[in-house]
Amino acid sequence: MSTVEAPRSPYARTQRSGTNWEKWGWMYMRASGVVLVVLIFGHLFVNMVSGEGVRAIDFAFVAGKWASPFWQVWDLLMLWLALIHGANGMRTIINDYSSSVTLGKVLRGAVFLSAAALIVLGTLVIFTFDPCPSVSPEQLGMLPSFCPPQ
Amino acid sequence: MSAVTAPRSQNKPRPGGTLYRGYTGMWSWVLHRITGVAIFFFLLVHILDTALVRVSPEAYNAVISTYKTPLMGLGEIGLVGAILFHALNGLRIILVDFWSKGVKYQRTMFWIVIGLWVVLMAGFLPRQIANIILEVNGQ
Amino acid sequence: MATAVATQAAVPEVQAFTITLIIRRFLPEIDEEARWESFDVDVYSTDRILDALHRIKWDQDGSLSFRRSCAHGICGSDAMRINGRNRLACKTLIKDLDITQPIYVEAIKGLPLEKDLIVDMEPFFAAYREVKPFLISNNEPEAGKERRQSIEDRERFDDTTKCILCAACTTSCPVFWTDGQYFGPAAIVNAHRFIFDSRDDAGDVRLDILNDKEGVWRCRTTFNCTDACPRGIQVTQAIADVKQAVLRGRA
Repeated sequence: MSTVEAPRSPYARTQRSGTNWEKWGWMYMRASGVVLVVLIFGHLFVNMVSGEGVRAIDFAFVAGKWASPFWQVWDLLMLWLALIHGANGMRTIINDYSSSVTLGKVLRGAVFLSAAALIVLGTLVIFTFDPCPSVSPEQLGMLPSFCPPQ
Repeated sequence: MSAVTAPRSQNKPRPGGTLYRGYTGMWSWVLHRITGVAIFFFLLVHILDTALVRVSPEAYNAVISTYKTPLMGLGEIGLVGAILFHALNGLRIILVDFWSKGVKYQRTMFWIVIGLWVVLMAGFLPRQIANIILEVNGQ
Repeated sequence: MATAVATQAAVPEVQAFTITLIIRRFLPEIDEEARWESFDVDVYSTDRILDALHRIKWDQDGSLSFRRSCAHGICGSDAMRINGRNRLACKTLIKDLDITQPIYVEAIKGLPLEKDLIVDMEPFFAAYREVKPFLISNNEPEAGKERRQSIEDRERFDDTTKCILCAACTTSCPVFWTDGQYFGPAAIVNAHRFIFDSRDDAGDVRLDILNDKEGVWRCRTTFNCTDACPRGIQVTQAIADVKQAVLRGRA
């Protein structure tokens, strides 16, 4: 007599340990989602639609934006909110579909590490960015127009 | 009594189970997941390419110029489409969760999401298509 | 006499037609895995899918196995996936389906398949039991009296009292298909029935149970459960009510 394999992990309630973050994760997705709609729609409009659209983007364009604290804060917020929002979404999907406990842990670990690394990297870039770095002569033309002559 | 004989279908039975025939609620969820995963992976790449501004203006400009090729231009249309759907459908989900009439109007709200998506894409496409054409012409 | 003629004329003619039913079979003694089998059945326009299944079992293949008890949409035994949607076989009229195409019938998904259209319902009932689906009260009613409740208070959970535990909702949920730990819509509906009952005193216990990692937060509002419910319960609304109650910390 053969049996069809059970469709997914058997029903056995695992014991809860520590704080239950699920409720807060659910709240975060909605709260950050609303803010992100504003931030990303603004980001897309300024970078992709207004002026020349994507053709206008180069080093001088980014330097011009980040010379203002307004866009620094805007992009910093977008970086943190979007990466945590995305990483939490990926965590949810992994929880839904990974049948193996080990594989689930590995994948969640990978998502967490990549998100954490990129948050650190992105934050450092925004705060240590110099719109007028000292560059080789052939790159001088790439600097924004407000830079002092080198 | 009248007898009607159903014509035999040539369709082969599907090998696995049938696909669940959910309504707009299920398919909007499927789209929400797919667009969400796609946006997440783009976000990882996008932060890395933007981080090149710390390396040198030359490196950043070289990578960002690949974003301006016609092929990437088409990809950007897909990306913007995915982001717009994810954002608008996300707002619909929030209304379903927090607005007392959200559940009742969820299907109507889905079609509003599709409508707004079409309007916003219509706002974005002229600029993007113009850019793609300029790139194709090498200007 | 005239009225009798009029009544007769109003009764629509009962049509007979031959339909093709493609049923997902699994006989554990023979089959390694489930397979599709096609049956041609002569049915009337007044017949339901359950009648067609009976005709196959009685006239064509006695080994076909499915559950049914009352056959009138009350016992909740014969939930199955009919043409890709969870329905009760006894409440699905064949003439309402597209009979020019074969009709696909298979077991509900997400629960272990035992035989043909029969699944092991135990995991489903285990989740149901976990939400304590019974009245828990800290006080006794007055001697010889019943527990009193206003019409408005009764109204709050009226919808969720209709559940017949057929599992059509839970097994239509995409999260339940892949995550066996999820409580599922039916368990939440039955928790809702007591959480919002003014006579019950254990709402906070049930809210705590459903605040679990596998509780209400797993719900993605796909509305498959609401569409599948043969009793028309607004399942997604009930889950939304419970989510709000967890957030507020009270019913």
